[in-house]
Amino acid sequence: MLRELTLHNDVKQIELLTEFIEVLCEELGLDAMLTFNLNLVLEEAVTNVIMYAYPQDEDHTMTLKTWTEQSDNIIVFELKDQGKPFNPIEEAPEVDTTLSADERQIGGLGIFLINKIMDDVTYRYEEGSNILTMKKNIKA
Amino acid sequence: MTFKVTEENGTLTGVMDGRLDTAAAPQFAEDLKIMMDNADKHLVLDMEKLSFISSSGLRLLLSLRKETMAKNGDITIINVLPEVKQVFTITGFYSLFQFK
Repeated sequence: MLRELTLHNDVKQIELLTEFIEVLCEELGLDAMLTFNLNLVLEEAVTNVIMYAYPQDEDHTMTLKTWTEQSDNIIVFELKDQGKPFNPIEEAPEVDTTLSADERQIGGLGIFLINKIMDDVTYRYEEGSNILTMKKNIKA
Repeated sequence: MTFKVTEENGTLTGVMDGRLDTAAAPQFAEDLKIMMDNADKHLVLDMEKLSFISSSGLRLLLSLRKETMAKNGDITIINVLPEVKQVFTITGFYSLFQFK
């Protein structure tokens, strides 16, 4: 079961992403909390590409592929863009959740949420593409 | 997402309705200005109908929280759904706000 979605680097495209994830989660029979969290993770990943991978005034696309592994126990999302090389795992600012409101910084929250919610997040740069792969056990 | 604010006895209550995602964040930033301007008062955010929040929304709420701290006001979040609440918990934002 391989599904694919192509999105432009425009925040208005988030609506298409939401619909794609909702349909996917419904077909997999996932509960409300997991559906919410997968929506959140994908929105954060796609937003990062929209905001940082390409110049804001140029039209570009990214591709999201998703499939399941190990008898539907693991869901995999692979987000690929041809923007500037960026390793979000290493280069995103660190987030300290114990700080007070005054000390909290606004950066890095998206990647932080992706890492917290997903079980396995890897990045590679291959033939001119950023490829972010995110896996989650959906039967645990 | 829509955001409607009412004032009663010096308390401003904002009702959030819909999805606060990256696409909705710029409008919410505009809508929040009335709360930013009144950050010396009691502010209430009613999240009963808030079905989704991502980091774009959290950042705006953090800005509002900082503003209330600077002006000696306060914010209480009410009626938050479990899915939204866990985002506050995961990010450590839960301890920055009062929940009822």
